[in-house]
Amino acid sequence: MTILDKPAIVWTALIYLSLVVVIGFWAVRRTRNAKDFFIAGQGIGLMVTALATMSAAFSGFVFIGGPGLTYRMGLASLFICIPVSFTAGLLCWVVAKRLRLLAGVREIYTVPDVIFCRYKSRRASGLAAMAVIVGTVGYLGAQLKALGILIEAIFGTREHFGDWSLAIAMLIGLVIVVFYATAGGMVAGVYTDLLQGTLMVGAAIAVFYYALQAGGGLGSMARSITESPTFGPGHLDPLGAVPVFTAMGFFLVFAVGSLGQPHMLHKFFMLDDPRKLKWMPLIVGGTQTLCILIWLGIGLAVPALVATGRLAPLTNPDEASPLFLLNFAPEILAGIVFAGILAAIMSTADSFVNIGSAALVRDLPKAFGRHVEDQLFWGRIAVVGIAFSAAIFAFVYGDLIALIGTFAFGTFGAALGPALAIGLNWRRVTAAAATASIATGMGVNLTLEFLAKQTFFEALPRPPFQTGVLPTAVSLAASFTVLFAVTWWTSRDSEPEIDEDVQLVMDL
Amino acid sequence: MVRKLSLAFLAIASPVVLLLFLVPWSWADELFTLLVMGYPVALIVVAVGRRGTLGPLGVPLLLLLIFLEACAIGMLALRGHVLDGPWFGGLPGAAAIQLYGLFMTPLLFVALAYALTFDRFEIREKDLDRLADHTRASEGEAE
Repeated sequence: MTILDKPAIVWTALIYLSLVVVIGFWAVRRTRNAKDFFIAGQGIGLMVTALATMSAAFSGFVFIGGPGLTYRMGLASLFICIPVSFTAGLLCWVVAKRLRLLAGVREIYTVPDVIFCRYKSRRASGLAAMAVIVGTVGYLGAQLKALGILIEAIFGTREHFGDWSLAIAMLIGLVIVVFYATAGGMVAGVYTDLLQGTLMVGAAIAVFYYALQAGGGLGSMARSITESPTFGPGHLDPLGAVPVFTAMGFFLVFAVGSLGQPHMLHKFFMLDDPRKLKWMPLIVGGTQTLCILIWLGIGLAVPALVATGRLAPLTNPDEASPLFLLNFAPEILAGIVFAGILAAIMSTADSFVNIGSAALVRDLPKAFGRHVEDQLFWGRIAVVGIAFSAAIFAFVYGDLIALIGTFAFGTFGAALGPALAIGLNWRRVTAAAATASIATGMGVNLTLEFLAKQTFFEALPRPPFQTGVLPTAVSLAASFTVLFAVTWWTSRDSEPEIDEDVQLVMDL
Repeated sequence: MVRKLSLAFLAIASPVVLLLFLVPWSWADELFTLLVMGYPVALIVVAVGRRGTLGPLGVPLLLLLIFLEACAIGMLALRGHVLDGPWFGGLPGAAAIQLYGLFMTPLLFVALAYALTFDRFEIREKDLDRLADHTRASEGEAE
């Protein structure tokens, strides 16, 4: 069965998507210069910024990839999303205030701009820009793959195109994303986020309710899963079914790594008044926690339904969400959630292509002492290249959406997290330390992922770690280690010079 | 003092974590879990303790650290006891700690600690005035 057999779903989704397209066109008219395109003119209020931050973090990764990963590895996968209960506070305490205050005293559009302001090093900001591009390709790839799987589910393209179905579905998604992102820039992104975020909170509560109903309640689902030979008791043991290094590695990467996510940090530049940060953790954390109910509900209900024989075992775990919505949710709710997920993917993809294009047309040239004229035009051209690279990467990577997302999140976290979180709060961190930390975070992550995944060169060794160690956790720990070691080595004689205004922001 | 301890924790914990990833050791799971729980609190302390004091945040941050570590110890202790261990709220003990404890509980606590100390400790009017004065003075010099 596809969604086309349920017209109410199609109509709800079409109405919703029309609204998103209207926002896109409205945003085109409001995008007049590079500041509008990259940071929405720095004129966004609390609710929009908070919901945009939440929505940028939550996308195809959470709504499609999350339940798929829980189906495959049980509750250990939830360590990816569990830190949301305090990461909003962590972000606000550790980086948000300083990012927003810096954006008030300097022309700052991007994370590499911040790195440059703090360390006065083109090498550090250039490396940060490269990390942003690498992470963007990974994260956008996860979005495009989620979009492809959703389009497959909606239109049943597998029946018509067979093995080419996912590639064709991803191509359709790619065209939509490129159109949307090149036209509207960040203005389109944040206002779509507002619509999508509001709706997804309501939809998540409703989906959680229907998931509990379908599974017969939390207790009944838990009993079915633990007694099932397919899943067994380990499925509901957070530190039992997979190595502790994997489960707690997720927690480390997604809690601490959140401090280096440019798509979330970007939103703080846009806030019109730094005093509005006061209620940010409550709104961001609260709405994120409610949205996670989709992951939790579907992630527990689908294994329970499979365990009780009401659903056939999944061939691809990433199909858990579409299958549940098609078969166990009311049509209108399914329509809203499908459209909401599409909008979530589009808005997150929009954020990423803008961040990636800013890194390409602003930050990298700046690192080489160049300036690109007409950044608005070249930014839009860069969007196309980044989006195509991301689609190819996601197709070739060939793993679950959540694992592609983990790679991308880890790249940002390891490369940018320590240099920002420690560097903006401790004046002893030197430019050399930040440069080494960013290079280590990015380089170790890419190398370990390549060694873990590659099958071309048999002679190359596998990473020499204990079972279950995540490459992203290694790169994050290595990045912190290098930051402290190089800081200690290079700041023995004198502390680094920091511009007066930057120092003032760090002291406040 | 607490800030320096937090910086020292982060500087030492990171290479220890790398070592645990590389070398097999019987208590590696437990030590890794406890260290991971310490990271977020240590980072917050580094950020908010820059004036030499944690101010009104000292007690909330200590409680947060104790809570996170207690959850970690609880999950480790109940590991492998899904069928023969206690159940709570429809879930096995470790899962209940994960979802009702780690996932649900810190939200209000952290968000309220941030909001309620914001005006007198996080962004004070006099700090914003100082920054505005500095910006105006710099612009004046530039002109």
